Amino acid sequence: MRSIVAVGLASFTFLAVAPLLWMLISSVMQQQALTSTPPDFSAGSFTLDNYVKVFSSAAALGRGFLNSFIVALSTTAAALAIGAPAAYALARLSVPGANPILMMILATQMFPGIVIAIPLFIAMSRLGLIDTQLALIIVYLSFNLPIVVWILRGFFLAIPAGLERAAAVDGATMVQVFSLIVLPISIAPLFATAVFAFIESWNEFFFALILTRQSAQTAPLVISQFAGQYQTVFGQMMAAATLAVAPVVALAVVFRNRIMRGFAEGMVKG
Amino acid sequence: MPRPVGRVGPEGPVRSGLGTLETRRRRIGLAALVPTLLILLLILAYPIVDSLLLSLASVNVAASGFARHFAGLDNYLALAGDRVFRDALWSSAYFTALEVGLVVVLALLVALMLVHPLGRSPIFRIVLIVPWAIAPVANAVLWKWILNANYGVLNAVLVELGVIERNVVWLGTGSRALHALLLVDVWKSVPFIAILFFAGINKIPAMLYRAARLDGANAWQQFWYVTLPSLRPTIAVAVILQTLWALRIFDLIYVLTKGGPAGGTVLLNYLAYRTTFNDLDLGYGAAIANVVFALSFLLALIYVWLLRPGLQHGRA
Repeated sequence: MRSIVAVGLASFTFLAVAPLLWMLISSVMQQQALTSTPPDFSAGSFTLDNYVKVFSSAAALGRGFLNSFIVALSTTAAALAIGAPAAYALARLSVPGANPILMMILATQMFPGIVIAIPLFIAMSRLGLIDTQLALIIVYLSFNLPIVVWILRGFFLAIPAGLERAAAVDGATMVQVFSLIVLPISIAPLFATAVFAFIESWNEFFFALILTRQSAQTAPLVISQFAGQYQTVFGQMMAAATLAVAPVVALAVVFRNRIMRGFAEGMVKG
Repeated sequence: MPRPVGRVGPEGPVRSGLGTLETRRRRIGLAALVPTLLILLLILAYPIVDSLLLSLASVNVAASGFARHFAGLDNYLALAGDRVFRDALWSSAYFTALEVGLVVVLALLVALMLVHPLGRSPIFRIVLIVPWAIAPVANAVLWKWILNANYGVLNAVLVELGVIERNVVWLGTGSRALHALLLVDVWKSVPFIAILFFAGINKIPAMLYRAARLDGANAWQQFWYVTLPSLRPTIAVAVILQTLWALRIFDLIYVLTKGGPAGGTVLLNYLAYRTTFNDLDLGYGAAIANVVFALSFLLALIYVWLLRPGLQHGRA
């Protein structure tokens, strides 16, 4: 049994990691080394040129990264600012109809993007918001709010109610209890939720494809265009992909424990 | 015994200028909820209604804007006789069923190995989280390189191992490309579902296993009679979530095949996109999108029902 598990775990790890490792290795190899059979792994094949060249081949890449950062950060900040009070209200403030509201919030997550994409495209065209960061921020906010509310509500429910009661008896208002007691002790979950929202917004492609043209293009869009245009320049393609995943992979690895707990709590448990 | 605050104070109900504490709580609670509800109504509910209306219209895209004419059920009636749509529906059903089945079974295997003492190493958490975190587009670009017919590492490895004799053009025929997409999507999806299962298994009371062992149950029997039944709600949720995600697969198709070759990888979601944004047939595209929506909605109802409050206790 032990040896079966060991072999199983080894194969799983290999299958999960090998493609990503290959991306990283290819990104620092010269084109000739990659296209010779078998690939030439001698020391001379390795270079950082791909990373330098990718920025000159894809002038849009720098702008794409900047747009991605602005859009993902704004979305995350707005989702937390709007979502945290809502989550608290649903967890603690005995709002009438809290359960149907919760179910509705959960259900919104289930809608396929394509169904809202067409009307949103028309509405954004009319409002002149096509190819703006604002359009993406608004749309991403609507995806991330339900997740933020759902996950944070779980965390708020877990806070011992006695703490808030004691403060209320001492004469603190609801807003004070929330901002002076609940928020400070929820820094960790708030941060984990923020990381989650940031990753989701950073990686989003479908709406970026529909709602941007050029000046508001995000990193995933630039990468996909680059891969279409330079699909035979393998090293540069992989350098571009590596750059696009590096920030979120770093975040995910650092906050893996909290994110995983958030998944498990948020998705499976009410 | 803690006294419920806001109902009865030492000298009767606690009152303030705005009424009892309880009504004030509610009022503030509602105020805190309003922005969220407004945004969801505006960005989700309004487009959903508009999409239904669009699907009942024929839309002309002109320089001046979008001209809609009510067309009744024409778009839906056209779907019934549309071969491309029928093929996409069939491909989607095939792809989704296979994808969900593979992901759930593989994820369960992975989760079971991770609860084994050998799987407790923190390294595996990184192995699980990284494929989840990478952007689907970057993932697709990566696999475009791995699957490359001439220089791709997959061909190189398989030829080296003697599994295939010469290079295979993985994205060369419709059916082969669909299965390549399937593999890539499974690769990306297994870790997340494994995380869900891992958490689920960890919540099963150790007592149940102890009791099973006392009754002489072997490893397989413990899995079959303890793990699997306790995990059933989690598995149900995973199946539904994964089905929803499989139905809306887009990035992979867009980067790897653009629906080709010969329409072999045109799934419903992609067809709706192509009809709307390439063919500019907004009404018909909306009708296809609404078919995806109806299927998703049905699944969402089941999901919400599985997670309904009150069921949350006594589940794994």
